Amino acid sequence: MESTEAKELHDTHHDADGHGADHHHDPGFWRKYIFSTDHKIIGIQYGITSLLFMLFGFFLIATMRWSMAYPGQPMPVVGSLLHIIMGDMTSAVFDPETKELIGYAISNDLYNAFGAMHGTIMVFLAVVPLAFAAFGNYVVPLQIGAVDMAFPRLNMASYHLFLLGGLIMLASFFIPGGPAQAGWTSYSPLATSIQTDGQLYWLIAMVIIITSSLLGAVNFIATIIQLRAPGMTWMRMPFFCWAQFVTAFLLLLAFPPLEVGALLQLMDKVAGTSFYLPTGLAISTMKDISGGGSPLLYQHLFWFLGHPEVYVLILPAMGVVSEIIANNTRKPLWGYKSLVYSTLVLGFLSFIVWAHHMYLTGMGTKISTFFQTTTMIISIPSVIILTCLFISLWGGSIRFNTPMLFALAFLPMFGIGGLTGLPLGFNYSDILLHDTYYVIGHFHYVVAPGTIFGLIAGIYFWYPKMTGRYMNEFWGKVHFWGSFIFMNLTFQPMFAQGMAGMLRRMADGGVGYSIANNPDAVGGLADQFVKLNANITLAAYALGLAQIPFIINLFYSISKGKKVESDNPWHSTTLEWQTPTPPPHGNFTTPPTVTGGPYEYSVPGSSQDYIPQNQKA
Amino acid sequence: MSLKAFHLIFVTATTLFSLFFGLWSLNQYRNIDPSALNLTFVFLAFVMLIALPIYGYYFLKKLKDVSFL
Amino acid sequence: MEVPYTVENRPDTGLYNAKVGIWLFLASEVMLFGALFSSYILLRVGALEGHWPTELLNVPIGTVNTMVLILSSVTVVMAWASLKLNDFKKFKMYQLATVICACMFVLIKSYEYRDKLTHHDVVLADGMRVDGHLVEETDEYIILSHPVSYPAVKGIGYRPTAIKEAEHGDDHHHAEDRKIMLADIVKRTTWGPWANTYFAIYFTLTGLHALHVIAGALVIAYYWGPGSKMWKTNPEQFTNRIEVSGLFWHFVDLVWIFLFPILYLL
Repeated sequence: MESTEAKELHDTHHDADGHGADHHHDPGFWRKYIFSTDHKIIGIQYGITSLLFMLFGFFLIATMRWSMAYPGQPMPVVGSLLHIIMGDMTSAVFDPETKELIGYAISNDLYNAFGAMHGTIMVFLAVVPLAFAAFGNYVVPLQIGAVDMAFPRLNMASYHLFLLGGLIMLASFFIPGGPAQAGWTSYSPLATSIQTDGQLYWLIAMVIIITSSLLGAVNFIATIIQLRAPGMTWMRMPFFCWAQFVTAFLLLLAFPPLEVGALLQLMDKVAGTSFYLPTGLAISTMKDISGGGSPLLYQHLFWFLGHPEVYVLILPAMGVVSEIIANNTRKPLWGYKSLVYSTLVLGFLSFIVWAHHMYLTGMGTKISTFFQTTTMIISIPSVIILTCLFISLWGGSIRFNTPMLFALAFLPMFGIGGLTGLPLGFNYSDILLHDTYYVIGHFHYVVAPGTIFGLIAGIYFWYPKMTGRYMNEFWGKVHFWGSFIFMNLTFQPMFAQGMAGMLRRMADGGVGYSIANNPDAVGGLADQFVKLNANITLAAYALGLAQIPFIINLFYSISKGKKVESDNPWHSTTLEWQTPTPPPHGNFTTPPTVTGGPYEYSVPGSSQDYIPQNQKA
Repeated sequence: MSLKAFHLIFVTATTLFSLFFGLWSLNQYRNIDPSALNLTFVFLAFVMLIALPIYGYYFLKKLKDVSFL
Repeated sequence: MEVPYTVENRPDTGLYNAKVGIWLFLASEVMLFGALFSSYILLRVGALEGHWPTELLNVPIGTVNTMVLILSSVTVVMAWASLKLNDFKKFKMYQLATVICACMFVLIKSYEYRDKLTHHDVVLADGMRVDGHLVEETDEYIILSHPVSYPAVKGIGYRPTAIKEAEHGDDHHHAEDRKIMLADIVKRTTWGPWANTYFAIYFTLTGLHALHVIAGALVIAYYWGPGSKMWKTNPEQFTNRIEVSGLFWHFVDLVWIFLFPILYLL
């Protein structure tokens, strides 16, 4: 059977040559970079777009952090700029004595809007597209030895839908009343009762982005099932492909319920239905509703996506990190099969834990107990994965290059993020911690120094394949240490603030509830926790500055970086390094036939310390 | 799963639906509204309940060379 | 460069790419309609006693529509079978029948929509509530046919039990049209999605389903008309495309087989 497959692939390769001749007629800028059907170009498109969105999301939180650290004080420079764009949503600040205008601060409405958009943009427009779509598109077809994705034109459509959704989301900043203000979760009836159009833009953009993700997920799964090279059996697939495979299933099955949630909220907003509006709702902006709806319904629909989404965020990063660890320890991943099975179990279990986000909604203790149990069970496969990766380091001759530094930092950082989640998974401790800064700290430890570190490691790791040049090692290390230190200085104090009872979503950073302002109140927030806000803000700004070497490095190295010595500069075993650099349209010069496992490093008796998957004798 | 297999599932589902529809209209006719319309529904459901499995058998015979996969 | 297994089956999976793709897409569609069905159940179970209206839809029309869709499933599968048996003429005939069935379904559905959207529900100044079909409308009055009237309760919208009581009460048959002066009307709505949660979920579910029908019909019509040229150049891939569109069409029909009982009968 394998021989016929090889023959078929060989035939298609001749076709590839024919098309290659076409490509000598320059397809032109638009066909080559904008309307490309090449999975590598689409991956890079996703990468650039999502990195830009990530920068924008960071800008939003940077302005919010100013408001928390120095409530009511005008923001230098940015305040006036925001006033030009957002108009009345910024609040003018006057000198108390001379009554002169001294600048603009962020109003509470604007704080809410930025908070909602920071969450939405970071999750749906930055991290998921970068982790799943960008890396998945670029690396997965190469790693499984395919010529392209299964549906190249669908792939292009999926990127363009994503871009359209993102642009609608951005457009909502320029409409009267500004963007959505009801948090990234958009709980009803709050989201429905705000009278501006921001929520409408949010919902329409979300429906489009979800559709794009669905198309992408279909494409990934079909590619991995159908287009694996001859000999690439399931257990010879690199772990990164497994992670993307499970992620695609999560997106495929978890996103439609959110689409329903968004559609029903859209109906509430434009068609006057009451899906989420209960009988007897008393909000002054919501008169004459028919009632009979259920606010809990929205939360169920949202978190049915929301929880698998967390694993959508983390699994691709785990995949990237395992590739880099295996490569830089020069030994096979420890427990490859445990990793694969844990990922599958994780994917399945992530569908039955969603209501642990809803312990405080009054859905009942029996349901809470069920979800608390499943939540504790799901921590087992997560711990197995992390343990496998830690043990993989044992006895390796580790190369400490920039990608490896980020990958190594991922392990303890994700560990902190995961372990601080346990108290949130028990409903009795969640009652205290829910909606405090502890939750923010926990979630950001998972996503920022966890996922984003993993993804940055991936950028440093695959950059030589994309461009043929290395990124600068020295500035890479500056970037790493700056990010590592300030990331921790930013998020670590949040645990303390949260356990002291500081709530999230407060534009003044909790000053209004501090003991200093309410000396007689019981249970006020102690002053030192309020003061931590300024420290966190400064650390966040320093974290932003630490990204500058990365941004410069990213662009500078395209033309000026050190050239790679071969097509396989990291001496890796997986197939993506067996292509020309950068890979042409159609990827492989000779169709690969896989003969070995994904991590054949330091095989005893071998002449070199790695055996590429298609070169095992 | 090919269209052949899915069509068999569809025919099965439709047969079960006919059974339900027949019971529903019979209940309507006997307990709620003894109209000619409801009697027609009972009759229609009965015909479908017989006809659909026969059609399914004929369909299988016609497409016996096509794969289920 | 050409992607393998677009036409022929991959030997170890036994499938071509598009079939894998459409089944994955249908899996996500199952989750989409599954979430909507779950919402329906949650809303219905959570409704106050006697507030979930039943028997408001026209069962004969719904039955006709169900028959139309079942028939279209048969014709779509026969069209595919004809291609498998190399009979292009029969394919054309069957697929035309499918498209006609789809159009009939949409027409009947839109007639039903219009019927509900012209059904008026007014609250009068004297505390009575009247609903009926709009017959005539002027600047001064409206005329409703088959009116049903019952006492309105403040804060509570639609009460099917009250209607039932009114219908089985003294004036059972309201054959005569009723003229209502606009000046007497306190509140006036129609039976659109805004009327109550039942109509909300009814319009959302059937609307989304109708969009699927229209999309499927467009694809099928394309491969019946201009797209059928492919039969001459690449018959195998053309047959695959008909199979894929048929799989989608079957899914759409199967959704209706579940929609019809829960919205019309139960």
